[in-house]
Amino acid sequence: MDIIVNLLHSLADTLSLSNLLHSLANSLDYAEIILPSLLKGTVMTIKVFFITLIFSIPLGLPLALGSESRLWPIRCFCRFYVFIFRGTPLMLQLFFVYFIVPIYTGLMIDAVTSAMVTFVLNYAAYLSEIYRGGIKSIDRGQYEAAACLGLSRPQTILGIVLPQMVRVVLPAVSNEMITLVKDTSLVYALGVTELLKAARAAVNRDGKLMAYLLAAVIYLILTFGLTKLQNYLERRFSKHEQRSE
Amino acid sequence: MPSILELNHIHKVFGAVKALDDVSLHVERGETVAIIGPSGSGKSTLLRSVNYLEKISAGEIIINGKALVKSPHGKPEYLPEREIRRMCSEIGMIFQHFNLFPHMTVLGNITYAPVKVKKQPLAEAEKEARRLLEMVGLADKAERYPAQLSGGQKQRVAIARGLAMQPELMLFDEPTSALDPEITGEVLNVMKTLAEQRMTMLVVTHEMGFAREVADRVIFMADGHIIEQGLPGEIFENPQSERLKNFLSSVIR
Repeated sequence: MDIIVNLLHSLADTLSLSNLLHSLANSLDYAEIILPSLLKGTVMTIKVFFITLIFSIPLGLPLALGSESRLWPIRCFCRFYVFIFRGTPLMLQLFFVYFIVPIYTGLMIDAVTSAMVTFVLNYAAYLSEIYRGGIKSIDRGQYEAAACLGLSRPQTILGIVLPQMVRVVLPAVSNEMITLVKDTSLVYALGVTELLKAARAAVNRDGKLMAYLLAAVIYLILTFGLTKLQNYLERRFSKHEQRSE
Repeated sequence: MPSILELNHIHKVFGAVKALDDVSLHVERGETVAIIGPSGSGKSTLLRSVNYLEKISAGEIIINGKALVKSPHGKPEYLPEREIRRMCSEIGMIFQHFNLFPHMTVLGNITYAPVKVKKQPLAEAEKEARRLLEMVGLADKAERYPAQLSGGQKQRVAIARGLAMQPELMLFDEPTSALDPEITGEVLNVMKTLAEQRMTMLVVTHEMGFAREVADRVIFMADGHIIEQGLPGEIFENPQSERLKNFLSSVIR
Protein backbone atom coordinates (compact mmCIF):
# COMPACT_ATOMS: atom_id res chain seq x y z
CA MET A 1 0.00 0.00 0.00
CA ASP A 2 2.72 2.41 1.06
CA ILE A 3 4.68 1.68 -2.02
CA ILE A 4 1.85 2.72 -4.32
CA VAL A 5 1.28 6.03 -2.51
CA ASN A 6 4.92 6.89 -2.68
CA LEU A 7 4.96 6.10 -6.34
CA LEU A 8 2.00 8.40 -6.99
CA HIS A 9 3.62 11.17 -5.01
CA SER A 10 6.83 10.97 -6.89
CA LEU A 11 4.91 10.79 -10.15
CA ALA A 12 3.01 13.95 -9.21
CA ASP A 13 6.26 15.61 -8.31
CA THR A 14 7.71 14.67 -11.60
CA LEU A 15 4.63 15.89 -13.42
CA SER A 16 4.53 19.27 -11.73
CA LEU A 17 8.23 19.67 -12.30
CA SER A 18 7.79 18.98 -15.97
CA ASN A 19 4.95 21.49 -15.99
CA LEU A 20 7.29 24.04 -14.57
CA LEU A 21 9.98 23.15 -17.08
CA HIS A 22 7.42 23.24 -19.82
CA SER A 23 6.19 26.71 -18.94
CA LEU A 24 9.74 27.90 -18.52
CA ALA A 25 10.61 26.59 -21.97
CA ASN A 26 7.57 28.35 -23.35
CA SER A 27 8.58 31.59 -21.69
CA LEU A 28 12.06 31.39 -23.08
CA ASP A 29 10.67 30.75 -26.52
CA TYR A 30 8.48 33.80 -26.20
CA ALA A 31 11.32 35.90 -24.86
CA GLU A 32 13.40 34.92 -27.85
CA ILE A 33 10.63 36.03 -30.15
CA ILE A 34 10.20 39.49 -28.62
CA LEU A 35 13.82 40.13 -27.72
CA PRO A 36 14.96 41.39 -31.14
CA SER A 37 12.37 44.16 -31.15
CA LEU A 38 13.26 45.06 -27.56
CA LEU A 39 16.96 45.18 -28.44
CA LYS A 40 16.17 47.36 -31.40
CA GLY A 41 14.37 49.69 -29.01
CA THR A 42 17.36 49.50 -26.69
CA VAL A 43 19.64 50.68 -29.47
CA MET A 44 17.49 53.81 -29.82
CA THR A 45 17.48 54.30 -26.04
CA ILE A 46 21.28 54.07 -25.95
CA LYS A 47 21.58 56.38 -28.94
CA VAL A 48 19.49 59.12 -27.35
CA PHE A 49 21.32 58.54 -24.08
CA PHE A 50 24.82 58.88 -25.51
CA ILE A 51 24.09 61.84 -27.73
CA THR A 52 22.56 63.67 -24.77
CA LEU A 53 25.48 62.73 -22.54
CA ILE A 54 28.15 63.74 -25.04
CA PHE A 55 26.64 67.15 -25.79
CA SER A 56 24.95 68.16 -22.55
CA ILE A 57 27.93 67.50 -20.27
CA PRO A 58 30.16 70.07 -21.99
CA LEU A 59 27.28 72.44 -22.83
CA GLY A 60 26.39 72.74 -19.14
CA LEU A 61 29.78 74.27 -18.42
CA PRO A 62 29.52 77.59 -20.31
CA LEU A 63 26.00 77.89 -18.91
CA ALA A 64 27.32 77.43 -15.38
CA LEU A 65 30.11 79.95 -15.88
CA GLY A 66 27.72 82.31 -17.65
CA SER A 67 25.26 82.17 -14.76
CA GLU A 68 28.02 83.60 -12.57
CA SER A 69 29.36 86.01 -15.18
CA ARG A 70 30.13 89.58 -14.22
CA LEU A 71 28.48 90.75 -17.47
CA TRP A 72 24.80 91.03 -16.79
CA PRO A 73 23.47 90.22 -20.32
CA ILE A 74 25.32 86.90 -20.24
CA ARG A 75 24.26 86.21 -16.67
CA CYS A 76 20.61 87.03 -17.40
CA PHE A 77 20.54 84.93 -20.54
CA CYS A 78 22.02 81.88 -18.81
CA ARG A 79 19.75 82.15 -15.80
CA PHE A 80 16.68 82.65 -17.99
CA TYR A 81 17.65 79.61 -20.05
CA VAL A 82 17.94 77.48 -16.94
CA PHE A 83 14.68 78.88 -15.60
CA ILE A 84 12.82 77.89 -18.77
CA PHE A 85 14.27 74.42 -19.13
CA ARG A 86 13.97 73.50 -15.48
CA GLY A 87 10.59 75.12 -15.12
CA THR A 88 8.66 73.22 -17.78
CA PRO A 89 8.06 69.49 -18.31
CA LEU A 90 10.51 67.74 -20.58
CA MET A 91 7.59 66.26 -22.50
CA LEU A 92 6.27 69.72 -23.24
CA GLN A 93 9.71 70.77 -24.47
CA LEU A 94 9.77 67.75 -26.76
CA PHE A 95 6.46 68.80 -28.29
CA PHE A 96 7.56 72.38 -28.52
CA VAL A 97 10.78 71.67 -30.40
CA TYR A 98 9.20 69.06 -32.65
CA PHE A 99 5.90 70.71 -33.53
CA ILE A 100 6.17 74.42 -32.88
CA VAL A 101 9.72 75.33 -33.85
CA PRO A 102 9.30 74.07 -37.46
CA ILE A 103 6.16 76.16 -37.88
CA TYR A 104 7.97 79.38 -37.07
CA THR A 105 11.38 78.62 -38.51
CA GLY A 106 10.49 76.39 -41.41
CA LEU A 107 13.19 74.07 -40.13
CA MET A 108 12.08 70.50 -40.73
CA ILE A 109 13.76 68.03 -38.42
CA ASP A 110 12.88 64.41 -37.90
CA ALA A 111 11.51 63.18 -34.59
CA VAL A 112 14.71 61.49 -33.41
CA THR A 113 16.92 64.52 -34.05
CA SER A 114 14.46 66.91 -32.50
CA ALA A 115 14.13 64.64 -29.46
CA MET A 116 17.88 64.51 -29.05
CA VAL A 117 18.24 68.28 -29.40
CA THR A 118 15.59 68.76 -26.72
CA PHE A 119 17.26 66.30 -24.39
CA VAL A 120 20.63 68.01 -24.81
CA LEU A 121 19.16 71.46 -24.13
CA ASN A 122 17.21 70.22 -21.13
CA TYR A 123 20.01 68.25 -19.52
CA ALA A 124 22.52 71.03 -20.08
CA ALA A 125 20.29 73.26 -17.94
CA TYR A 126 20.21 70.76 -15.08
CA LEU A 127 23.92 69.99 -15.35
CA SER A 128 24.82 73.67 -15.37
CA GLU A 129 23.17 74.06 -11.97
CA ILE A 130 25.15 71.09 -10.65
CA TYR A 131 28.36 72.58 -12.03
CA ARG A 132 27.52 75.96 -10.57
CA GLY A 133 27.17 74.38 -7.15
CA GLY A 134 30.47 72.58 -7.66
CA ILE A 135 32.26 75.76 -8.67
CA LYS A 136 30.81 77.63 -5.69
CA SER A 137 32.00 74.92 -3.33
CA ILE A 138 35.61 75.67 -4.17
CA ASP A 139 37.35 77.61 -1.46
CA ARG A 140 38.02 81.29 -2.07
CA GLY A 141 41.60 80.65 -1.00
CA GLN A 142 42.15 78.67 -4.20
CA TYR A 143 41.30 81.71 -6.29
CA GLU A 144 43.46 83.92 -4.09
CA ALA A 145 46.43 81.59 -4.34
CA ALA A 146 46.00 81.44 -8.12
CA ALA A 147 45.77 85.24 -8.37
CA CYS A 148 48.90 85.70 -6.22
CA LEU A 149 50.80 83.37 -8.52
CA GLY A 150 49.82 85.53 -11.49
CA LEU A 151 47.48 83.00 -13.13
CA SER A 152 44.99 84.47 -15.57
CA ARG A 153 41.28 83.82 -15.23
CA PRO A 154 41.21 81.05 -17.89
CA GLN A 155 44.29 79.44 -16.33
CA THR A 156 42.62 79.53 -12.94
CA ILE A 157 39.33 78.09 -14.21
CA LEU A 158 40.88 75.35 -16.34
CA GLY A 159 43.82 74.42 -14.16
CA ILE A 160 42.58 74.97 -10.63
CA VAL A 161 38.79 75.22 -10.44
CA LEU A 162 37.48 72.68 -12.96
CA PRO A 163 39.66 69.72 -11.92
CA GLN A 164 38.45 70.17 -8.35
CA MET A 165 34.88 70.72 -9.46
CA VAL A 166 34.81 67.41 -11.35
CA ARG A 167 35.35 65.51 -8.13
CA VAL A 168 32.61 67.45 -6.37
CA VAL A 169 29.96 67.08 -9.08
CA LEU A 170 30.60 63.47 -10.13
CA PRO A 171 27.98 61.87 -7.87
CA ALA A 172 25.30 64.39 -8.86
CA VAL A 173 26.16 64.14 -12.58
CA SER A 174 26.06 60.34 -12.40
CA ASN A 175 22.68 60.60 -10.78
CA GLU A 176 21.45 62.79 -13.65
CA MET A 177 22.80 60.32 -16.18
CA ILE A 178 20.95 57.45 -14.55
CA THR A 179 17.79 59.53 -14.64
CA LEU A 180 18.52 60.21 -18.29
CA VAL A 181 18.56 56.49 -19.16
CA LYS A 182 14.97 56.28 -17.98
CA ASP A 183 13.90 59.70 -19.29
CA THR A 184 14.79 58.59 -22.81
CA SER A 185 11.51 56.66 -22.76
CA LEU A 186 9.75 60.03 -23.19
CA VAL A 187 10.71 60.12 -26.87
CA TYR A 188 7.84 57.70 -27.48
CA ALA A 189 5.67 60.82 -27.33
CA LEU A 190 7.11 61.81 -30.72
CA GLY A 191 6.45 58.34 -32.07
CA VAL A 192 10.04 57.21 -31.78
CA THR A 193 10.33 53.55 -30.85
CA GLU A 194 12.69 53.00 -27.97
CA LEU A 195 12.88 50.22 -25.39
CA LEU A 196 9.76 50.98 -23.40
CA LYS A 197 7.61 51.60 -26.47
CA ALA A 198 8.81 48.33 -27.99
CA ALA A 199 7.89 46.52 -24.79
CA ARG A 200 4.50 48.13 -24.65
CA ALA A 201 3.85 47.11 -28.25
CA ALA A 202 4.66 43.48 -27.43
CA VAL A 203 2.42 43.52 -24.36
CA ASN A 204 -0.48 45.03 -26.27
CA ARG A 205 -0.07 42.62 -29.15
CA ASP A 206 0.41 39.38 -27.21
CA GLY A 207 -1.40 40.07 -23.95
CA LYS A 208 1.64 38.86 -22.02
CA LEU A 209 3.53 40.94 -19.49
CA MET A 210 6.90 39.29 -20.13
CA ALA A 211 8.07 42.21 -22.31
CA TYR A 212 7.83 44.62 -19.37
CA LEU A 213 9.93 42.27 -17.26
CA LEU A 214 12.57 42.08 -19.95
CA ALA A 215 12.54 45.85 -20.42
CA ALA A 216 13.09 46.28 -16.69
CA VAL A 217 16.04 43.89 -16.81
CA ILE A 218 17.57 45.78 -19.75
CA TYR A 219 17.16 49.15 -18.00
CA LEU A 220 18.78 47.66 -14.90
CA ILE A 221 21.71 46.35 -16.92
CA LEU A 222 22.25 49.82 -18.42
CA THR A 223 22.08 51.63 -15.09
CA PHE A 224 24.25 48.97 -13.45
CA GLY A 225 26.95 49.68 -16.03
CA LEU A 226 26.65 53.40 -15.30
CA THR A 227 26.92 52.83 -11.56
CA LYS A 228 30.12 50.87 -12.12
CA LEU A 229 31.48 53.67 -14.30
CA GLN A 230 30.58 56.19 -11.61
CA ASN A 231 32.46 54.19 -8.96
CA TYR A 232 35.50 53.96 -11.19
CA LEU A 233 35.52 57.69 -11.96
CA GLU A 234 35.02 58.66 -8.33
CA ARG A 235 37.97 56.53 -7.31
CA ARG A 236 40.07 57.98 -10.07
CA PHE A 237 39.25 61.61 -9.28
CA SER A 238 39.67 61.25 -5.53
CA LYS A 239 43.10 59.72 -5.74
CA HIS A 240 44.61 62.88 -4.27
CA GLU A 241 42.32 62.72 -1.23
CA GLN A 242 43.81 59.50 0.10
CA ARG A 243 45.93 60.22 3.10
CA SER A 244 48.56 57.57 2.54
CA GLU A 245 49.96 55.88 -0.52
CA MET B 1 67.06 102.81 -5.62
CA PRO B 2 63.40 103.16 -4.60
CA SER B 3 61.88 101.25 -1.69
CA ILE B 4 60.62 97.88 -2.78
CA LEU B 5 57.24 98.72 -1.30
CA GLU B 6 55.68 102.05 -0.44
CA LEU B 7 52.26 102.29 1.10
CA ASN B 8 51.12 105.90 1.34
CA HIS B 9 48.01 107.04 3.21
CA ILE B 10 46.08 103.82 2.72
CA HIS B 11 42.42 103.89 3.62
CA LYS B 12 40.14 100.90 3.54
CA VAL B 13 36.49 101.06 4.49
CA PHE B 14 34.22 98.05 4.94
CA GLY B 15 30.74 99.55 5.11
CA ALA B 16 30.91 101.83 8.12
CA VAL B 17 34.09 100.25 9.52
CA LYS B 18 37.45 101.88 8.89
CA ALA B 19 39.73 98.85 8.58
CA LEU B 20 42.69 100.99 7.56
CA ASP B 21 42.81 104.65 8.46
CA ASP B 22 45.62 106.58 6.79
CA VAL B 23 48.32 103.95 7.05
CA SER B 24 51.76 104.60 5.55
CA LEU B 25 54.60 102.12 5.50
CA HIS B 26 57.81 101.73 3.50
CA VAL B 27 59.70 98.47 3.18
CA GLU B 28 63.32 98.47 2.03
CA ARG B 29 65.04 95.74 0.02
CA GLY B 30 66.25 92.83 2.14
CA GLU B 31 64.27 93.92 5.15
CA THR B 32 62.09 91.64 7.28
CA VAL B 33 59.19 93.58 8.72
CA ALA B 34 56.83 91.99 11.23
CA ILE B 35 53.35 93.39 11.75
CA ILE B 36 51.80 92.58 15.10
CA GLY B 37 48.60 93.67 16.74
CA PRO B 38 45.27 92.46 18.09
CA SER B 39 42.81 90.77 15.73
CA GLY B 40 40.72 93.27 13.80
CA SER B 41 43.56 95.79 13.84
CA GLY B 42 43.73 95.81 10.02
CA LYS B 43 47.10 94.11 9.67
CA SER B 44 45.87 91.33 7.37
CA THR B 45 43.86 93.82 5.35
CA LEU B 46 46.98 95.93 4.88
CA LEU B 47 48.98 92.90 3.73
CA ARG B 48 46.25 91.75 1.37
CA SER B 49 45.98 95.21 -0.16
CA VAL B 50 49.57 94.97 -1.35
CA ASN B 51 48.79 92.26 -3.90
CA TYR B 52 45.26 93.27 -4.76
CA LEU B 53 43.40 90.66 -2.70
CA GLU B 54 41.70 93.69 -1.16
CA LYS B 55 40.91 96.86 -3.05
CA ILE B 56 41.80 99.95 -1.06
CA SER B 57 39.39 102.87 -0.65
CA ALA B 58 42.07 105.53 -1.07
CA GLY B 59 45.84 105.85 -1.03
CA GLU B 60 48.87 104.87 -3.01
CA ILE B 61 50.70 101.55 -3.36
CA ILE B 62 54.07 101.68 -5.10
CA ILE B 63 55.92 98.47 -5.78
CA ASN B 64 59.49 98.73 -6.98
CA GLY B 65 58.92 102.34 -8.03
CA LYS B 66 55.81 101.49 -10.01
CA ALA B 67 52.39 102.57 -8.80
CA LEU B 68 49.87 99.72 -8.51
CA VAL B 69 47.27 102.22 -7.41
CA LYS B 70 47.16 105.97 -6.99
CA SER B 71 44.45 108.23 -5.67
CA PRO B 72 45.15 111.64 -7.17
CA HIS B 73 41.50 112.69 -6.84
CA GLY B 74 40.67 110.87 -3.65
CA LYS B 75 39.39 107.80 -5.47
CA PRO B 76 41.74 104.86 -6.11
CA GLU B 77 42.88 104.40 -9.70
CA TYR B 78 44.30 100.95 -10.32
CA LEU B 79 46.44 99.77 -13.20
CA PRO B 80 44.71 97.52 -15.76
CA GLU B 81 44.09 93.93 -14.55
CA ARG B 82 46.75 92.43 -16.78
CA GLU B 83 49.42 94.78 -15.41
CA ILE B 84 48.33 94.11 -11.85
CA ARG B 85 48.55 90.36 -12.45
CA ARG B 86 52.08 90.71 -13.75
CA MET B 87 53.15 92.87 -10.81
CA CYS B 88 51.51 90.61 -8.25
CA SER B 89 53.15 87.51 -9.70
CA GLU B 90 56.40 89.05 -8.51
CA ILE B 91 55.13 89.14 -4.95
CA GLY B 92 54.90 85.84 -3.09
CA MET B 93 51.99 85.30 -0.75
CA ILE B 94 51.76 82.77 2.06
CA PHE B 95 48.33 82.19 3.56
CA GLN B 96 47.22 81.07 6.98
CA HIS B 97 45.43 78.08 5.42
CA PHE B 98 48.16 77.28 2.88
CA ASN B 99 45.77 77.20 -0.10
CA LEU B 100 47.72 74.50 -1.85
CA PHE B 101 46.02 73.02 -4.93
CA PRO B 102 44.70 69.70 -3.57
CA HIS B 103 44.44 67.97 -6.95
CA MET B 104 48.12 68.47 -7.79
CA THR B 105 51.18 66.81 -6.36
CA VAL B 106 53.66 68.89 -4.39
CA LEU B 107 55.75 69.18 -7.53
CA GLY B 108 52.69 70.17 -9.58
CA ASN B 109 51.81 72.86 -7.06
CA ILE B 110 55.26 74.39 -7.30
CA THR B 111 55.76 74.16 -11.06
CA TYR B 112 52.27 75.13 -12.26
CA ALA B 113 52.67 78.91 -12.13
CA PRO B 114 56.28 79.10 -13.39
CA VAL B 115 55.30 76.96 -16.40
CA LYS B 116 52.00 78.72 -17.13
CA VAL B 117 52.86 82.29 -16.20
CA LYS B 118 56.60 82.56 -16.73
CA LYS B 119 56.61 80.04 -19.60
CA GLN B 120 59.48 78.18 -17.99
CA PRO B 121 60.18 74.78 -19.59
CA LEU B 122 58.74 72.03 -17.38
CA ALA B 123 62.05 70.25 -16.85
CA GLU B 124 63.68 73.46 -15.70
CA ALA B 125 60.75 74.31 -13.42
CA GLU B 126 60.89 70.84 -11.88
CA LYS B 127 64.60 71.11 -11.27
CA GLU B 128 64.07 74.42 -9.53
CA ALA B 129 61.11 72.99 -7.58
CA ARG B 130 63.26 70.12 -6.29
CA ARG B 131 65.96 72.57 -5.25
CA LEU B 132 63.37 74.61 -3.32
CA LEU B 133 61.92 71.47 -1.72
CA GLU B 134 65.43 70.59 -0.62
CA MET B 135 65.70 74.03 0.94
CA VAL B 136 62.47 73.67 2.92
CA GLY B 137 63.44 70.13 3.91
CA LEU B 138 60.84 68.24 1.89
CA ALA B 139 62.88 66.76 -0.94
CA ASP B 140 61.28 63.34 -0.39
CA LYS B 141 57.70 64.62 -0.66
CA ALA B 142 57.73 65.84 -4.29
CA GLU B 143 55.28 63.21 -5.54
CA ARG B 144 52.86 63.44 -2.60
CA TYR B 145 49.50 65.14 -2.62
CA PRO B 146 48.79 67.91 -0.09
CA ALA B 147 46.28 65.69 1.77
CA GLN B 148 49.17 63.38 2.61
CA LEU B 149 51.19 66.10 4.34
CA SER B 150 51.04 67.59 7.82
CA GLY B 151 50.14 71.25 8.30
CA GLY B 152 53.75 72.29 8.75
CA GLN B 153 54.78 70.42 5.63
CA LYS B 154 51.93 72.00 3.64
CA GLN B 155 53.03 75.47 4.69
CA ARG B 156 56.63 74.74 3.70
CA VAL B 157 55.40 73.55 0.30
CA ALA B 158 53.42 76.79 0.02
CA ILE B 159 56.59 78.74 0.71
CA ALA B 160 58.44 76.76 -1.96
CA ARG B 161 55.57 77.44 -4.36
CA GLY B 162 55.81 81.16 -3.66
CA LEU B 163 59.58 81.18 -4.08
CA ALA B 164 59.36 79.35 -7.41
CA MET B 165 58.06 82.57 -8.97
CA GLN B 166 61.31 84.26 -7.89
CA PRO B 167 59.55 87.05 -6.03
CA GLU B 168 61.34 90.12 -4.79
CA LEU B 169 58.94 90.44 -1.90
CA MET B 170 57.24 87.76 0.17
CA LEU B 171 54.06 88.42 2.15
CA PHE B 172 53.13 86.12 5.03
CA ASP B 173 49.58 86.31 6.37
CA GLU B 174 49.71 84.62 9.78
CA PRO B 175 51.64 81.67 8.36
CA THR B 176 51.66 79.62 11.56
CA SER B 177 48.25 80.45 13.02
CA ALA B 178 46.60 77.30 11.68
CA LEU B 179 49.39 75.03 12.92
CA ASP B 180 49.78 73.06 16.12
CA PRO B 181 52.20 74.89 18.43
CA GLU B 182 54.82 72.14 18.32
CA ILE B 183 55.18 72.35 14.54
CA THR B 184 55.22 76.10 14.05
CA GLY B 185 59.00 75.88 14.51
CA GLU B 186 59.60 74.06 11.24
CA VAL B 187 57.86 76.85 9.31
CA LEU B 188 59.48 79.65 11.29
CA ASN B 189 62.90 78.11 10.68
CA VAL B 190 62.35 78.23 6.94
CA MET B 191 61.29 81.86 7.23
CA LYS B 192 64.35 82.59 9.33
CA THR B 193 66.56 81.09 6.64
CA LEU B 194 64.87 83.31 4.06
CA ALA B 195 65.44 86.37 6.25
CA GLU B 196 69.10 85.46 6.55
CA GLN B 197 69.30 85.24 2.75
CA ARG B 198 68.01 88.83 2.69
CA MET B 199 64.66 88.03 1.13
CA THR B 200 62.36 91.02 1.62
CA MET B 201 59.53 89.86 3.84
CA LEU B 202 56.42 91.44 5.28
CA VAL B 203 55.03 89.15 7.96
CA VAL B 204 51.75 89.44 9.81
CA THR B 205 52.24 87.24 12.82
CA HIS B 206 51.21 86.32 16.33
CA GLU B 207 54.61 84.73 16.95
CA MET B 208 56.24 87.31 19.17
CA GLY B 209 59.36 85.17 19.45
CA PHE B 210 59.79 85.27 15.68
CA ALA B 211 59.12 89.00 15.46
CA ARG B 212 61.60 89.69 18.18
CA GLU B 213 64.33 87.39 16.93
CA VAL B 214 64.09 87.59 13.14
CA ALA B 215 62.44 90.88 12.19
CA ASP B 216 64.52 93.97 11.39
CA ARG B 217 61.57 96.14 12.23
CA VAL B 218 58.31 95.59 14.08
CA ILE B 219 55.09 97.44 13.33
CA PHE B 220 52.34 97.51 15.91
CA MET B 221 48.85 98.11 14.54
CA ALA B 222 45.55 98.67 16.29
CA ASP B 223 42.17 99.95 15.06
CA GLY B 224 43.44 100.50 11.53
CA HIS B 225 46.40 102.65 12.58
CA ILE B 226 50.10 102.05 12.96
CA ILE B 227 50.51 102.89 16.63
CA GLU B 228 54.21 102.24 17.00
CA GLN B 229 57.10 100.94 14.99
CA GLY B 230 60.76 100.35 15.57
CA LEU B 231 63.50 97.85 16.19
CA PRO B 232 62.29 94.67 17.88
CA GLY B 233 64.27 95.62 20.99
CA GLU B 234 62.53 98.99 21.27
CA ILE B 235 59.08 97.60 20.67
CA PHE B 236 59.32 94.68 23.03
CA GLU B 237 61.57 96.11 25.77
CA ASN B 238 60.45 99.72 25.77
CA PRO B 239 56.88 100.11 24.48
CA GLN B 240 55.73 103.73 24.50
CA SER B 241 51.97 103.58 24.08
CA GLU B 242 49.40 102.14 26.46
CA ARG B 243 47.91 100.06 23.62
CA LEU B 244 51.19 98.33 22.94
CA LYS B 245 51.91 97.78 26.64
CA ASN B 246 48.48 96.20 27.09
CA PHE B 247 48.88 94.11 23.95
CA LEU B 248 52.30 92.82 24.93
CA SER B 249 51.24 91.96 28.46
CA SER B 250 48.28 90.02 27.07
CA VAL B 251 50.30 87.97 24.57
CA ILE B 252 53.51 87.46 26.49
CA ARG B 253 53.27 85.65 29.77
